[in-house]
Amino acid sequence: MTAAAPPAPVGTINVVDPSPLNWLFITWNTMEEPIRIDEDGRAVFALAESADWPDDKTLELRLRKGVRFQDGEPFTAHNIKLNFDEMQRWAAPHPPGTWLNFPEESVAEVVDDHTIRFRFPGPDGLAVGKMRGFHIASTAFWKGPDAPGFGYKKFGSGEGHW
Amino acid sequence: MIDEPGPWGTGPFTLVQGASSILTRNAVMSADPYTCAWLIESEDRSPDLVLEANLDHWNREARGPRVQRAVFRNDLDPAEALDRCLSTDGEVDIVTEVSPADAARVQASEHAGLITADANRVLACIINRDGPLAALDLRRALNMSVDRKRIVDDGLAGYASIVPAMTPPWCSGFPAGAQPYPHDPAQAKSLWDGEGWPPGSPLKIATTAPFAGVAQLVASDLRRSLDLAVEIITVPDEQVLAASRALIEKKLPQPWDLLVHAWFDLSSEAPPAAVHREFFGTDGAFRAGPPDAGFDALYDEMKVQLDGDRLVEVAERIDAYCYDQALALFLCAPQALYAVNNHVSFGPYKTTFEIAEVTVDEGHWSRQPRAAGAAASSVKPGFSGATGNAC
Repeated sequence: MTAAAPPAPVGTINVVDPSPLNWLFITWNTMEEPIRIDEDGRAVFALAESADWPDDKTLELRLRKGVRFQDGEPFTAHNIKLNFDEMQRWAAPHPPGTWLNFPEESVAEVVDDHTIRFRFPGPDGLAVGKMRGFHIASTAFWKGPDAPGFGYKKFGSGEGHW
Repeated sequence: MIDEPGPWGTGPFTLVQGASSILTRNAVMSADPYTCAWLIESEDRSPDLVLEANLDHWNREARGPRVQRAVFRNDLDPAEALDRCLSTDGEVDIVTEVSPADAARVQASEHAGLITADANRVLACIINRDGPLAALDLRRALNMSVDRKRIVDDGLAGYASIVPAMTPPWCSGFPAGAQPYPHDPAQAKSLWDGEGWPPGSPLKIATTAPFAGVAQLVASDLRRSLDLAVEIITVPDEQVLAASRALIEKKLPQPWDLLVHAWFDLSSEAPPAAVHREFFGTDGAFRAGPPDAGFDALYDEMKVQLDGDRLVEVAERIDAYCYDQALALFLCAPQALYAVNNHVSFGPYKTTFEIAEVTVDEGHWSRQPRAAGAAASSVKPGFSGATGNAC
C-alpha cells in the first residue's frame, strides 16, 4: 500500500508584509538550512536529519537524502561545504551581527555525500541553532553564469548580506 | 538575502519574480575581536514579488506548499493594504504586523479575521547604566514603579503578555515560577529615595514614534510612583539610524536614561543568545553601560554547553540574574497580529512568517473562474518599501 500523493497546491494569495525582516522571510520560504524553526519556535531538522558531537570540538551532521534544488541539482554534503566556505570568507556576513559567526578557524569536511563534519576551535553549544542562518544555495547560485551569490553581484560583497 | 529570482534553494517555494533585500550599514563595536551589527538603512523590494510552489519539495506531505502562488504586494503601503484586506476579496489576503490599534477594526471586518500569536518578541526599556542608574536599587525601583497590566491594556490594547524579565514563559530558559516585579509604588519610592537620584534632575525616556504611547504610560507611572520629573524624547524618524548606530558603537554618551526598545528572537530554544546577550552582553548591540561581569560569566558558561538540558539550565539562571539585577525595565512580550481573509487558513509562527502550510478554500477569489484576470490586475508598481531596523 502506497501513501497518497500530497494534494496539489491550489490558489494564489496576495500578501503585504511590512516587516523589516521580509528579506529574511523570503529567503526562508525559498531556501533551507540544516535546521528550521517550527511554529512553536522549536528547532527541527530540515536539510540535516541528525546532529552529533563525536567530541567537544566536532559537529557531525547526517544530511537528508533525496532532496533536490529547484533547478534539479541533487543536494549533498558538497553543497553544505561550498556554502560554508563562501560564508566563512566574510568577517560579518549576517545582518544581525558577528555573534552568528562561526569562528574563523572553523572548517567543514565532507565525510561522504550525506555526512558533513564541522571542526571548531572549541565547544559551541549554539552551533546547531546558528545554522538557522546558514542558508544553503545551489551551486549555480554561487558559480553559475551571472551568479548572484549573497550580495556578490548586487553589492560586490557578501558582508552583511547573508 | 536573495537579490534576484531563480531556482536557488530547496525550499517549499521558488522565487520566480522580484526580490526583497536590504541596504545595510556596519556599526562596529570592537576591532579585536571584530564585533559588529548591521543597521538597515533602506529596503529594496520589487513592487511585486512572486513565489511559486515547489512541487518537488521533500516535505510536501507534512508541510506543503498548499497554495500554488504567493504574491507579495510591495506596491501597497501597510495602511492601504489593511483597508483592502478588510473591505474586499481578491486584493490582499494576509497583512502582517497589524497594529494593536487596528485590531478591533480587523475583528469587525466582513472579509477578514484577526489572527494573533504569542510571538518571541520583547518590549523593554534599556537602562543607561553609565549614569545614576548604575545603582541597583534605582533600577529595582523603576521596575516596581510601573503597572505592566495597564501598559499592556492601554498601550497595546491587551495584545501582549507580561514577562518577568526577558524570556517569555513559553520559551526554554524561563525560570520556573518566575513572577514580574510587583507594582509597589511605596516600596519603589523607598528604594528610590534611599539610593539618591540627583535632586532636581529629570529622568529622560527616549522612544521611537511607534512606542511613544508606551513611553507616556511608563512616564506617568514613574512620575506617580517616584514623585519624579520625567521627560520624553521622541527620536525623529530621520535620526533613528544615527541614534541606533550611536547605541551600538557606544562611543558617544547616550542622552537618555531609559530607551523603549523592542526586539525579537528567532527561536524558542536559547533566548539569551539573541535577546539577553544583545541587551546586556559585552558584545551586545543594545548594552548601555559597562559590561556586566556576572552576566558575561553566565553567558560564557551557557554558550559552550553541548548538552541541551544543561544549556537551558544556564539560560534560566541568566534570565533570573537579569531580573535580580534589574538590568532593564522589563515590560512585556507583544503579540504578532495578522489580518487574514476569511477564505484563507493561516497558522502563525512564533518567530517567522512561513506560508508553506497556508491553504485557501473553494470560496477563495483565486479559485473562481475569473481569478486569473483578477490576479493579473492586482499588481501595481510604485511602493518603495517600508523601512525599519531589524538589527
